[in-house]
Amino acid sequence: MLQSLPYELPELVTRAPLDTHRSTVVPEWVDWNGHMNVAFYVTAFDQASGAFMRNMGLGRRYVDGKLGMTFVLETHVTYDRELREGAPLRFTTQLLARDAKKVHLFHEMYHAEQDYLAATNETIVMNIDYASRRSAPWPVPVAERLDAIWETHKLLPKPAKAGRVMGLSRR
Amino acid sequence: MIDLDLAAPLDRHPATVLSDWIDWNGHMNVGYYVVAFDKATDTLCQQFGCGWEYTRDKIGMTFVLEAHVTYDREVKEGDGLRITTQILDHDAKRLHFIHMMYHAEEGYLAATNELMLMNIDYQTRRSAPWPGFAMERIEKLAAAHATLPRPAQAGRLIGIKKK
Repeated sequence: MLQSLPYELPELVTRAPLDTHRSTVVPEWVDWNGHMNVAFYVTAFDQASGAFMRNMGLGRRYVDGKLGMTFVLETHVTYDRELREGAPLRFTTQLLARDAKKVHLFHEMYHAEQDYLAATNETIVMNIDYASRRSAPWPVPVAERLDAIWETHKLLPKPAKAGRVMGLSRR
Repeated sequence: MIDLDLAAPLDRHPATVLSDWIDWNGHMNVGYYVVAFDKATDTLCQQFGCGWEYTRDKIGMTFVLEAHVTYDREVKEGDGLRITTQILDHDAKRLHFIHMMYHAEEGYLAATNELMLMNIDYQTRRSAPWPGFAMERIEKLAAAHATLPRPAQAGRLIGIKKK
């Protein structure tokens, strides 16, 4: 387990949910249906996971310093409403659970001006040792930040769209 | 329309991991797994006449309502992929299925993608029943795929197991 990180960590945001990430639907994300393609919702959410990871003290410097990486194990997306090219996006991220190696996150994606919910993403991200490319416990300073983040996030209600199992409902 | 392929699972979608799909971890990025799977969804939709031409000719569209991805193993630039598809369920407007992505040469399972797809009217952009030509073929495909066991990756609930 890494006891420290060789770079300065950003100021910790414990506000719950985390609401710092912004994005825009770029032309490359639009498909033949004239809206953001399903795959690029996942890309946009992955960038929101990146914002959460940076707040934990991880990110590009963690990988470039050959210290470690974070891998997504599993992800679940609900597509709630279409988004067109140029649409401004804002994200909220709630920490649902964490353990020694993993976090369980829930993102909501909103149209930043019209304020509607466009999609949600529930995801599990795991810490990876750089050399072995296998799972490893969070570095100590990251685990400490995660504990501080959990103190505020654990007070939030569980989102209605979290924990979904896919299926056709029979009427 | 192309000839109907009733092999179960549907196994006619090869792909290759492109350099643009690689991220700073040196492997295929999570979003591009879904790019690859979405192309396999088109291969499935072509089976029942609802692929690219269906939208190009302004007949209808198909929208994904929900998606679940398991990332089982890394794939690298240039790797050959093989994606198979199994229909799990369907109704008048929707189709529930799962893709399995395999490394083509080494044979290992790289990822799975469970999807709920809905038929959309081109003009209103609202849900609509599958056209008759599509429903006829969906029923034949679903009957062929009903002989397969249900994959363990279907119907998963996300969570961290408590020890």
